Amino acid sequence: MADHDHTEPPSDTALRVKALESLLLEKGLVEADTLDAIIQLYEHNVGPQNGAKVVARAWSDPDYKARLLADATPAIAELGYGGVQGEDMVVVENTSDVHNLLVCTLCSCYPWPVLGLPPVWYKAAPYRARAVSEPRAVLKEFGVEIREGVEVRVWDSTAELRYMVLPERPAGTEGLGEDELAALVTRDSMIGVALVEST
Amino acid sequence: MVERGQRCKRVRIMPALAADMVVPLFAVGSSARVDADIAPKFKAGDTVTARNINPTGHTRLPRYLRGKSGTIEKDHGVFGLPDSMAHGGGETPQHVYCVRFSAREVWGASAAPRDSFYVDMWDDYLDPA
Amino acid sequence: MNGIHDLGGMHGMGPVNPETDEPVFHADWERRVFALMMAIPGSVYNIDEFRHTIERMEAAEYLSTSYYEHWLHCLEVLMIEKGQFERAELEAAWSNAASAANGSA
Repeated sequence: MADHDHTEPPSDTALRVKALESLLLEKGLVEADTLDAIIQLYEHNVGPQNGAKVVARAWSDPDYKARLLADATPAIAELGYGGVQGEDMVVVENTSDVHNLLVCTLCSCYPWPVLGLPPVWYKAAPYRARAVSEPRAVLKEFGVEIREGVEVRVWDSTAELRYMVLPERPAGTEGLGEDELAALVTRDSMIGVALVEST
Repeated sequence: MVERGQRCKRVRIMPALAADMVVPLFAVGSSARVDADIAPKFKAGDTVTARNINPTGHTRLPRYLRGKSGTIEKDHGVFGLPDSMAHGGGETPQHVYCVRFSAREVWGASAAPRDSFYVDMWDDYLDPA
Repeated sequence: MNGIHDLGGMHGMGPVNPETDEPVFHADWERRVFALMMAIPGSVYNIDEFRHTIERMEAAEYLSTSYYEHWLHCLEVLMIEKGQFERAELEAAWSNAASAANGSA
């Protein structure tokens, strides 16, 4: 077929996907049950509950925290997490003096093994445009007010390193065990757009 | 959508991924690190300037940092160069560094004085400042 | 390339709109596109080719389409460029899918 005589794709995106899937299956590039296994893995098994356990362990075990901050990939693997889009991890720590914020201005790089697949806002133009030029304004929109004396560090994931924020442990959680601590840790706190609250 | 002349020979592929391999393979992934003994051009503490390049092809050097100066924070080791790998050019392995840029260097006097960016950059993106 | 994807610092993109209790996928076709991309053997394309195919989208289309629509566009374009199928085969698949949908309606 000549290049100037193209049929336009169907306006119904679902139909267009169905067509592509049937073609890729026919060509032997993919297998149907493999697709289901991938969806199962990322929709149900991998998610921010993994990162929350890493955070809770770091809050509970100073030696683990030291290993996590020194070389995150093996420390995260100690809890059984790792793999695609988390092969080379870096964990950055929020303190009373430093607040870290993650972004990927060029695409949508995100640490899948610990946080799952990224939310739409993380992948969309407004966050990617503004997180680097006005991080404090963006944080304020998320309800996080950063004091003037605190240094905001924005990590733009341009290479194949993947980042996760170790949020500050909230006051009043001294008596809590790891499971209770993990339940407090949100996805947004590990991106850096939220703080962890004690309740 | 596809321009003339862009098509290439069908790439030889391995058999399609089997369902029972999804969990084990995805749990390992595939690190982009390249096992090559290549000397770094910079070390932690060096001051560097991001090159002002404007390629029409792929690059991972964002526009907002081109021409800006920062400090090498850490050497991440050796990785392939996206500018080359996106165009069938091979790995062109080289060091990737975490480089710190102050917000004022990037956005001027209106930026918060202590804020900063940490951005990973390949040797080919950097000159000594 | 100095494309629309290189968004850092751009003005006029509007507010960040986080969604409360956001699901992992918003439609079944998003699940399928994600899985198709991840299932294709790594020997067919590399991540930089994947990213650059999305970067080459027309700027207006890039901004007006969703993330998984970018992936769909990428799969169609990249698989043709990699010689995995012909444009005519994709168009035939579109027709077949449309007929099947009409037939079952």
